[in-house]
Amino acid sequence: MATAKLSRRKIAAYFADEVVAGRSVVKPLAAYLIESKRIREQGLIVRDIEAALADRGILFADVTSSYNLADDTKKAIQDYLKDKTKVKDVHLRTDVDESLLGGVRIETPDQRLDATLRHRLNQLTASKI
Amino acid sequence: MIYPLQQFGASSSGDVFSALGIDGQMLLIQGLAFLVLIYVLNRWVFPVLMKAVDDRQEAIEAGTKAAEAAEKKAEEAQEEVQRALKEARAEAKDIVTTAKDEANAMIASSEDKAKSRAEKIVKDAHEQLEKDVIAARKTLHNDTIELVALATEKVVGKTVNKDIDKKIIASAVKEEA
Repeated sequence: MATAKLSRRKIAAYFADEVVAGRSVVKPLAAYLIESKRIREQGLIVRDIEAALADRGILFADVTSSYNLADDTKKAIQDYLKDKTKVKDVHLRTDVDESLLGGVRIETPDQRLDATLRHRLNQLTASKI
Repeated sequence: MIYPLQQFGASSSGDVFSALGIDGQMLLIQGLAFLVLIYVLNRWVFPVLMKAVDDRQEAIEAGTKAAEAAEKKAEEAQEEVQRALKEARAEAKDIVTTAKDEANAMIASSEDKAKSRAEKIVKDAHEQLEKDVIAARKTLHNDTIELVALATEKVVGKTVNKDIDKKIIASAVKEEA
């Protein structure tokens, strides 16, 4: 029996509530995506869930730098994000990209801060007339 | 010369006509002949002569009139010629004046055109020069940026280490906060 297609917003809100409640959502989400044949939307749905979690005080941020971040640096970034987005809990997903040359790039569901030297150099190059 | 006086002396005893040698009968005949002559002349000769004279006079008068008319016509023709010459001179003068004016206008127009063209050429040259300068500046600007970016990338790639990176991140977070 075919079920009505739920909006990503509703799906994200449901699974965000599940995460806040402390329940695992990986398997149910995977099962739902397979069942509803919406595997291709998994990236968008995960991002929507993260946005819904941010609304509930839990922020997931992708942090990319050219070196592994020290703990105090991570702490500083978390404090910065808490202050900026007014959330209670911040989780960082770190990644290393040596081509960034230096600095850090922080991406949240609805914001992006690129403070890398690569970005500065790109800006400089883009200022060509 | 003596003969008439002798005749007068010889007849002094006759009548006066005889003394004068005049024959009264002859005189009468001669008078009649004279009258006949006068009549004949008046009747046939004088009219012809008078007519000829009149004709001649008329011819002379006609000739005079014709001459006068011719003279008048000649004068009129002369006046006409003078007037035509005057008109021709005036027209020629107008033509020359017009031609001079047109020539001056053409010269002025040509000068204006030449001046405008020269100014346009100079203006175009200035604009082109300005464009070239701007293009050169752009090229220099872009090349400089490219060079600076490349050099910075090379230098930063070699100089930035973990500690410097940490400071950069701290500074960025502090700046954004």
